Amino acid sequence: MDVTTRIHAELTRCGIKIAASLPDDWVAPLIERIAADNQMRHVRVAREAEAVAICSGAFFGGVRAVALMGATGLLTCTGELATLNLRHQIPVFLIVSQRGTIDDHRIYQEVQGRRTIPLLQAYDFPYHVVDRPDEVSSIPDAFETCRMQKRPFVLFLTRRLVKGEGTA
Amino acid sequence: MKAREAIDVLAQHRGDAVAVCALGMAANEWWAATKSEDSFYMHGAMGFAASFALGLALSLPQVPVWLINADGSLCMNLGCLLTEASQGARNLKHFVVDNGVYQTVGGLPMVNDGRTDYAAIARGAGIVRARTIDAMDDLERQLPGIAAEDGPSFTVLRVEPETGFLRTPPMTYEGPEMKYRFGRALERRFGIEVFGPQGY
Repeated sequence: MDVTTRIHAELTRCGIKIAASLPDDWVAPLIERIAADNQMRHVRVAREAEAVAICSGAFFGGVRAVALMGATGLLTCTGELATLNLRHQIPVFLIVSQRGTIDDHRIYQEVQGRRTIPLLQAYDFPYHVVDRPDEVSSIPDAFETCRMQKRPFVLFLTRRLVKGEGTA
Repeated sequence: MKAREAIDVLAQHRGDAVAVCALGMAANEWWAATKSEDSFYMHGAMGFAASFALGLALSLPQVPVWLINADGSLCMNLGCLLTEASQGARNLKHFVVDNGVYQTVGGLPMVNDGRTDYAAIARGAGIVRARTIDAMDDLERQLPGIAAEDGPSFTVLRVEPETGFLRTPPMTYEGPEMKYRFGRALERRFGIEVFGPQGY
């Protein structure tokens, strides 16, 4: 089973019924896998903060949801995560590519690599890094932690996980 | 047409709809008119009440969801119209109170200086049922039909600009209390489980 199928299976195990997304190239295969699942409502958005707010609205409908985006997109919606989710203690589960690591040789991702984790720590948003296929099974625990902590929770997917060994 | 008058008419025709209100004037006026706890009043994330309402509408497809938006918030997230159009939620009605100013911060003018046709933008985004209403008698005549039609729909309520900081006071609760009052109200109304057995 490839890693995209594994992640999708774990999201299904979490009971997720809505996925809102704006792709970067690392999470694009997962997004397309979700889009092909007619048991999960897929919402393509024009800006990442839309995905955050859609998942927050779904929470009040009693429906489990996930927001998928790249690291750059996560940086664009920190204001909404703070003033909607932190303010009201609304959990939102985000799956985000961990860009700008030492094996990501894209110059326009380097700031994300240096500043994303410190930013999450400043907001006190919990996160968990999934780096290997056998760690994908941690997703339900991460989702439950998000619910318990009642705030944004970021599940990072590394390059090694989604692209395999090597650099690009 | 004044914002309060228009909101009062919306409240009278609300029926079973759950409301999501943009922060500031829209939320404050809706609270003043309804005192309803089965409404969510945004306190932040300006522009994203629309997306929140869409998520709620997709989660409860049998429940009418009314978005009480404002022009300042709409302009923060015009992309929401593309997403609404593509999702085609039949239970979602989008209202925009358009006063042309940032009223809550003192009535400063909007960026577009009254030149924008928001209904045309919505139609261009793919929302077929879109219109602008600027008089009370038109609003009272059209609203029953708007409430009954399939969504997504988009209705601009063009009202007079009014000045005065926090002319209408906000709701009397906030933060986590708003989350729990709103969530518990929906649990009671619809028999759904928002919070788990341990309360989170």
